[in-house]
Formats: sequence, structure tokens, C-alpha cells
Amino acid sequence: MKPETQSRIGIYVCHCGGNISDYVDVAQVAAAVAQEPGVTISRTHMFTCSDAAQQEIIKDIQEQKLNGLVIASCSPKLHMYTFRAMAERAGVNPYQYVQVNLREQDSWAHTHHRDEATRKGIALVKAGIAKSRLSEPLVPLRVNTKPRVLVVGGGVTGLKTALALSDLGIAVDVVERSERLGGWVADWKKLYPTGQDGQALVAELEQALAQRANIKVHTQAKVTGRSGNLGDFTIRIRTPQGEQDLNVGALVMATGFAAYAPLPQEFGFGLPGVVTLPELKKSLSRGEPLQTSDGRPVKTLAFIYCVGSRQKKTAAQPQVNTHCSRTCCTAAAHLGLNLTGAYPALRQYHLYRDVRTYGKHELIFGENREKGAVYVRFDEKEPPVVSTEGAQLRVKVKDTLTRREELEIAADLVVLVTGMLPRENAELINILKVPVDRNGFFKEIHPKLRPVETVMDGLFIAGAAQSPRLIGEAVSSALAAVSKCGALLKKGYVDLEPMIAVVKTDKCTGCNACLGVCPYQAIEKTVCDGRDQVTVIPFSCKGCGACVPLCPENALDVKGYTDEQMTAAITALAQEAAV
Amino acid sequence: MTRVNAELLKTVEASGEFNAVACMNCGTCTALCPLGLTNLPREIFRDVVLGLEEKVLANVETVFSCLLCRMCQVNCPAEVKIADNVRTLRVHLNKTLHHL
Amino acid sequence: MAFPIRHLIGILADNQRLRGSVMPLGTGRLTAWAKGLSLPRGGSRVIYTGHMYQMMPSLASMEAGLGLMADTPVTRLMGWGRFFNRFVNLSFFLTWPSGRQQAQYDLRLKKIAQSLRQAGIQFGYLYEKELYTGALVYDLGLDEVFKKHAQRVWAMFQKHGVRSVITVDPHTTEMLREVYPKVVPGFQLEVKSYLEVLAESGWTPPQALTEAVTLHDSCIYARTLQVSAQPRAVLAKGPLVDSPDHAGAATHCCGGPAESLYPHKAETVAAERINQLAARGCDTVAVLCPICLHNLEKAGRARGIRVKDFSEIIG
Ligand SMILES: Cc1cc2nc3c(=O)[nH]c(=O)nc-3n(C[C@H](O)[C@H](O)[C@H](O)COP(=O)(O)OP(=O)(O)OC[C@H]3O[C@@H](n4cnc5c(N)ncnc54)[C@H](O)[C@@H]3O)c2cc1C
Ligand code: SF4
Ligand code: SF4
Ligand code: SF4
Repeated sequence: MKPETQSRIGIYVCHCGGNISDYVDVAQVAAAVAQEPGVTISRTHMFTCSDAAQQEIIKDIQEQKLNGLVIASCSPKLHMYTFRAMAERAGVNPYQYVQVNLREQDSWAHTHHRDEATRKGIALVKAGIAKSRLSEPLVPLRVNTKPRVLVVGGGVTGLKTALALSDLGIAVDVVERSERLGGWVADWKKLYPTGQDGQALVAELEQALAQRANIKVHTQAKVTGRSGNLGDFTIRIRTPQGEQDLNVGALVMATGFAAYAPLPQEFGFGLPGVVTLPELKKSLSRGEPLQTSDGRPVKTLAFIYCVGSRQKKTAAQPQVNTHCSRTCCTAAAHLGLNLTGAYPALRQYHLYRDVRTYGKHELIFGENREKGAVYVRFDEKEPPVVSTEGAQLRVKVKDTLTRREELEIAADLVVLVTGMLPRENAELINILKVPVDRNGFFKEIHPKLRPVETVMDGLFIAGAAQSPRLIGEAVSSALAAVSKCGALLKKGYVDLEPMIAVVKTDKCTGCNACLGVCPYQAIEKTVCDGRDQVTVIPFSCKGCGACVPLCPENALDVKGYTDEQMTAAITALAQEAAV
Repeated sequence: MTRVNAELLKTVEASGEFNAVACMNCGTCTALCPLGLTNLPREIFRDVVLGLEEKVLANVETVFSCLLCRMCQVNCPAEVKIADNVRTLRVHLNKTLHHL
Repeated sequence: MAFPIRHLIGILADNQRLRGSVMPLGTGRLTAWAKGLSLPRGGSRVIYTGHMYQMMPSLASMEAGLGLMADTPVTRLMGWGRFFNRFVNLSFFLTWPSGRQQAQYDLRLKKIAQSLRQAGIQFGYLYEKELYTGALVYDLGLDEVFKKHAQRVWAMFQKHGVRSVITVDPHTTEMLREVYPKVVPGFQLEVKSYLEVLAESGWTPPQALTEAVTLHDSCIYARTLQVSAQPRAVLAKGPLVDSPDHAGAATHCCGGPAESLYPHKAETVAAERINQLAARGCDTVAVLCPICLHNLEKAGRARGIRVKDFSEIIG
């Protein structure tokens, strides 16, 4: 710990144009703290973030030999990195800079109480000074990264990820659970929007794969263990040949989707002639003719949409799939269109809730209607009912487009347009700690700005495992994950924030109270000087502080936010409030 | 309860141009019709497409009162040739109902 | 009881089949407008009236008659009417158009021909050989009758060596330009409306026109035939031409096409349209089609709006 007398702190109070100074008397704040122990200089600026102000501060730091910095301005979310960089340029350790939020936490919150706002401002800055006096210089943690990526899942997404990583000169291990590659697409012939053959597409990818020396494919393989951290993971996998450890810098999860399996009797499921869309697509892709369960040609076909998707919670069914599977409306229209081509006399009725053939797929929907497919819209509250009458299937439906006319369609085959769910992968999720959303799909940090990253550093997600996707969309996300891997691994190292938890080995009794609470599994048991203790894996810890209050011995601290610093800051605040 | 029947559509199609199946029920035509016909064209078209013959016959007057002004047709986003379809329905009704 | 439209359509069909027109009129009546113009007989390019202007006064009085009969026991006798109509031209008895009205419609045709002449256009006229195009039977879906008639019309054009026609109303223009080529094998004819011909020639009315008019576009001209800039071009140097809210391709129908079967509906639509036109604040409305003229004229009277044919504005 640093003796207080050595502190040479500079205080800079910002007007923020008026955002702060309209309500807080910034000159008064600067004057009130000028005499605090450890403060060398106290000034105000119109815009502290401006180049001119930064130049002045750098000059102060150098001339006055400052070793601490408190800037009372906006939220650290806006300018923490700006001022850290400035501190570093001037020769002050960036982690000895403290930002006090005078704008969001003071001026904007108290626009009707100028005097009180100024008083609060003084208290906040004093708390910042107290924290700064006890600050220590810190250095970022540097990880040397392994130029190798593990891709879990050998569907189109996984294969495309592997090829693109290989293009970047990054080695890849592909772990595929089944005995063959390609996922769903390997089962299908004609795909929209190009009409391309799915099997040919997979064959093309496999051929390309065979040319790459830096890609290793493990089929019938599963992930059984994980250790290490961002940039340097060790993943244990098991194949029929045995277990092995793979040392990789990052992981891409591309485990794809499962088709919803209807419950018995759900829309007549179980009756002869009631099939699901993926089943029918597979059977047609195998070259089988379109026929009824007893082998007659099909004259009338009825599709029922949204089966297993967009479900509403009920008392009887609390666990439901609330998402729209997105691809099925187009998949059904596309299949319908292909069937019209093959069987021109076929009559098709598409019973839907809403048609979501988004973007260019609208053309497929349009063409299907133009070629004669009849779309009947039902209300989710009055879903179609499927029954049999002899060998004939009967579908009853209220058509909201004709005054809710109750229609009965005599169909030879009923196709349930089932949705996309994540594949069953509880074990994998547990081992790799992949975050999932409420429908079980892998979850990104930010759906707009960080769409393939997860809260687990170094673990990326792609393809239909993340949300229902078409091949093109799945591949786009694969390539996004590749670029994130590249950015992480190509430099050879990565610097991490040093504000992480540390164990005071003199205090830890090894009670393990903190072990389960860390969301990142960064705390491990260890033995220190012959005593049971815990230790924090520096690269895994994110400094969230969840463990700190749990320790009965106060043996945990987060660097940059130590108990001592926080106590000093709170005491300063409380003293000021009492005045 | 009405049984859906594809035959009606087939006979109407035999009377001339009839592309009402392409209709996506957006309602643009209903909103624009200067006669304010609510069941023409899209509801009657659906009745034809689904084979609800009695409903079509209950609306003969509507079919014959259309102005063929094409306000609906030129604005239909699904390119349904609405007025041409109405005319085709007239041909069909004249043949089957009016025996003309 | 509404009109048994089946019999009405039947009468129109029989007229068309037996007498060559939904409203059979004597040849003297049909050609009266051309008196004194000394238009050459026939030729490869002719003015083609399609009988629409000539028919309007008779249709108007027939409607008036039907309007009186609607909802009376007479409607039940329509079936008999149709039976007799096959042997006796009932419309001859039913319709007594006023001579003044006939003269007005004839004058409009005359003015069209005169404007064309002033523009230096050469054309002939087929006089009593000219035939009705069958627009109404086509619209009513009487395809068998229509197709036969269309063959007759094509034979007539061929016989008289006509290769190009100048039409005077949108319905005839649509029939000859859009429909005939689809139903008559080998049909080939250059079809232009007088509005297009005048606009192409660059002609503008010689006498200074000062009166402002609001122009009502015809549905068929504007939406099917893309004719809406032409009348405005002809009037470019003339009176102030104003357009209502619904103009050009967005024009609002006059209601006329419903006239023969549902006169009351036609009236409602016409009243709505007159309101839109009157909202422009100008009390003269110009129309491009005799059906619009007839239908809006009636509705305009109630609102103090004068409805004039385009020919009367320019000639
Ligand atoms: C009926 C239907 C029709 C469709 N038609 C089209 C179309 O015409 N055009 C189009 O673009 N898209 C279509 N799609 C979507 C398309 O199928 C998906 O976009 C595509 O399959 C996504 O590929 P993926 O690799 O992400 O997932 P998947 O194809 O599901 O592949 C995932 C792979 O991961 C493996 N895996 C899973 N868990 C593990 C694990 N724990 N360890 C190891 N491996 C694992 C699986 O075995 C599988 O091989 C359709 C979808 C449906 C339902
Ligand atoms: S894509 Fe269509 S069928 Fe599939 S869940 Fe969404 S709305 Fe339903
Ligand atoms: S405008 Fe066209 S698509 Fe829309 S409801 Fe009418 S016919 Fe159907
Ligand atoms: S064409 Fe017929 S249905 Fe269409 S807007 Fe005109 S009157 Fe209405």
C-alpha cells in the first residue's frame, strides 16, 4: 500500500459545455477539493475531453510530476478509455486514473437543486480522491494465443467456418458427433433460393476440406472436458479411437438445429398420412414419389404451418417454443412449388397463421400462389383439426379470410410444417458453459453489435444453433465468427484488463464458499504453503466481484476496487454528507 | 361447414383469364373500390378458389355491378388482374346461371 | 324486387346477336352527325365513332324508363319482354330520346372531326358501314356473342381496306386496341384516339379560350390506355386546366358502367365524383368519354356544375 503523503493528484472538473456547469458550480467544486490531502492541482475545463484540455493536463502531469488523476466529468462509459490513454501518454499508470461521474449522477439528476447538486459534486469528487490516493499501478494481463480453433459441429456452418479459418492460416479441429458431415443439408436435394442440390453442396465442401493440411476432422466425436482460458484452451475430446486433448485459442459452436417432433395427436400426428415437412423433404430427396400412406398418388395436399413454433404458454403447457422458426414458411412454399412442377394436377392448401417469407423469399411465396397453391389463414385460437374418414384425411379449419367460414378439406396427405429447435446438447453446454436463451438457442452478447461473441471470452457461436437460419445466413455468421477468431488469434497475444480478483493468501482458509458463485469458473481450489486455499485463474476472471462479499474472511479483493479503496471512498462521501 | 372443392375454380378458369389465386388478401382493392364493394373482389374470388358455390351465387349482383374501372387492378400488389377476373366470372355466370 | 338482370342481359345479348348492337339504331340516326362535313367515304384511315355518342341519348331514355319500372310488377314481365324482343326491336318502342339531345351529341362528333381537320389530319368515314364494337356485351361477359360480332367487325375493316382508325371515345379505343387483337385471329389495325392524334400533331385550339375547367379523366383512357397527358397538352395554351384529387391513373370512375344494370349505384358513384370535381371550385368540368358525360351531367345538375365534352372545349 502506498503512503498517502506520496500522492500527487491532479483534479479536473469539467463544465461539459454547460451540461454540468448549468446546475453544478464547477469552480466551487474545484476550490473545495484543492486542499484535500494528496491533491497537487485542481482546475476546471469547458470540455475536458477536447484536445486542448488534454494537452494542458498532460503538461500539468509532467510539470507537477502527478501520479494520480481524478477527472470529474461524464460517465466512464463515454470517456474512460479516452482519459486512460491520455494518462498513459503523459506517463501516469492508466489504472491510477479515477473518473467521477458528475453529469449522469449529479447535474442531470438534480436540475432543480443547484446548491445541493454542487454539494453532492464536492462529495463525489472527494470520494474519487480517496479512492485515487489508495490506487496502485496495474499492468494488463497478456495471454499468448494458440493459432488453432476448435469447431464443434460439422454441418454447413461448421465446415464453412473451418475452411475460412484455414484460409486465414489458422489450424482447425472439427468435432462432429455423427458419423458423417453436412448436418441437415446432406439429406436434402433442391434448396432455395438457388435450386441447388444440398448433397452436392456438402460434397463440394468436403472436397475442399480434403485439400487442407491444417484442418483435422474428428467424426463420431464428443467434447468431454475443458480447461484453460481465452487464447489457450485445452479441450478433451473422445472418438472411437480414444481420448485426446486439443490445445486451441478459440472455439466456434456450430451445433445446428433439431426439428420439432410433434406430440402424439398434435394436428393428427400419428394418423396415417400425417407427416412432418423435414420427413417429406427427406423422402422426396431420396427420390421417393409423393404418395399416401397406403401408396396411392396424392391429389390433395394440406400443409399446416407453425407446428411447434410461436406457441403460447398455457397452464397445461408451461414450457413452449415462443420463437418463429423463420425458415419454415419459405421451406413449405418452396416444396409446394417444386411439387407443382412435378405433379401439375396436385391441389395444395397451405393453412397458415402469418406468412413470413421475408426478404427475397417473398418471390417464392408469390410464385407458389400464382401457380395455384391456396393459402388459408387460421386464427391460433382456433387451430385446424385433423381427423380421418376411412382412408381419407379431413382437415377442418376456420378461414379468417372468408368471414371465418368453416371449411373442410379432404386431403390425401397432411404435412406439418414443424419448426427449428436447438439440438439436445445439455452435456456440451455444461462443459463449455455456453450461454443459452429461453428457447435453448446459443446466446450472443449483443444481437446487433456483437452478434457472434458470447460472455465466455474466446467462445463464438454461429449457424442455426444460435437461431433458426437459412444456409446463407448460417454461413454469414460462420464468417463473422471466423473474423472474430482471426482478430483474436492472428496477433499472437491478447491483453486483458488487470482489474481481476486476487486471493490474500494470508487470510484464505480454504472454506470454498466462493467456489460456486463465479459465473466464469475462474476460482479453483489449490494448496498454498501446505494449506488448502483457492486461487483465481487470472485470464478467466472478469473482475465482476461476485465472489468478494461471499468470503467470510475478507480474503478476496478486486484490483482497482479493493475493499480499502471502496471503504475510503464511502467514508469520504459519508463525511461530506454529514457536514 | 363447407367442403372445399377445386372443381369450381377449374370451370371458372375455363371461361377465361382468372388469376385470383395469386391474391394475398391485403385488402387494397376493397379500400380503393369507388363502389365500396366489400365482398368484391377478394371475398368472392376466395369463394371461387375454395369452391364455395352458393356464396358466389348469392353475390351475382355484386359481380355484375363492378364498373371494371380497374382502380383495384392497377394497384394490386399481387398483380391480380382483378377486373379481368370479374369479367371472367361474368362469362362463367352467364353460361352456367343465365344460360346465355 | 331488383331487376332480373338475367333478362336485361338477355335483351342486350339478343340485340347484339340479331341486330348487331346493344342499342340498335337506324343508319340515318348513326350518320346524321356527318352531314355537311363532306367526309370522304372510306379510305385506309378513317374516323371511327363506334356509335357510342349516337347511342347515349337512347340509352339515357331507356334508363329513365327502366328507372320508373324498377320495383314495380313490370319487372316480372321482363322475361316476356326478352321473348318479344327477339322478334320486335323493343328498344325502338322503349326509348324516345329527345331530338335536342340527339342534336347535342351529334354536334360533339362534328366538332371532333372539325378539330382533326384543322390539325391537318386526313381521314375518311365509313358512314352506314361502320359497326358498333360490342363493348358492352364484352364487359357483361357475353363472350360467345361478342366473339362472333368481333369477327364481323374485322371482316368489315378488311373489306373496306381500313388500316388505321381514329377513335373518339375510350371504350371503342380499348376494344379495338386491347381486346380485338386477343380474340380475333389475324387482327391488325392502327388505333389512335383523336386526343392522341391531336396531341401528336401539336395542334391547339385557334380561338382564345379563357374559361377554366376541371378535367375528369376516363378510367379506361387513364388506366388501361395511358391517355391522360394528351388532353392536357392540347389545352396547354388554352384555359386553365385543373385536376381533381383523383386524376390521371388514380382517376375515380364516373359510375357510368353500372348504368345499364344498376342505375342507382351509378348515381351514387357519380355524385361522389362530382363532389370531388366541385371541390376544386371551378364550375365547368370537361370529360373525355360520352358515358362520363351522360352520367356526370345528371349528377352535376344537382350541384350547379356544368359538364362539357372535351370537343366542346376545343371547338
Ligand atoms: C424443412 C427445412 C427446409 C430447409 N430448406 C432450406 C433451403 O432450401 N435453403 C436454405 O438455405 N436453408 C434451408 N433450411 C435451413 C438449413 O437446413 C439450415 O440453415 C442449415 O442446416 C444450418 O446448418 P448448421 O450447420 O448450422 O446446422 P446443422 O445442419 O443442424 O448441422 C449441425 C451439425 O452439428 C452436429 N452437432 C450437433 N451437436 C453436436 C455436438 N455436441 N458435438 C458435435 N457435433 C454436434 C450435428 O450432428 C450436425 O452435423 C431448411 C430447414 C428446414 C427445417
Ligand atoms: S416461419 Fe412461418 S411457419 Fe415457421 S414458425 Fe414462422 S410463421 Fe410459422
Ligand atoms: S389488391 Fe390484389 S392482393 Fe390485395 S386483396 Fe385485392 S386482389 Fe388480393
Ligand atoms: S374494377 Fe370493380 S371491383 Fe375494381 S375498383 Fe372498379 S368497381 Fe371496384
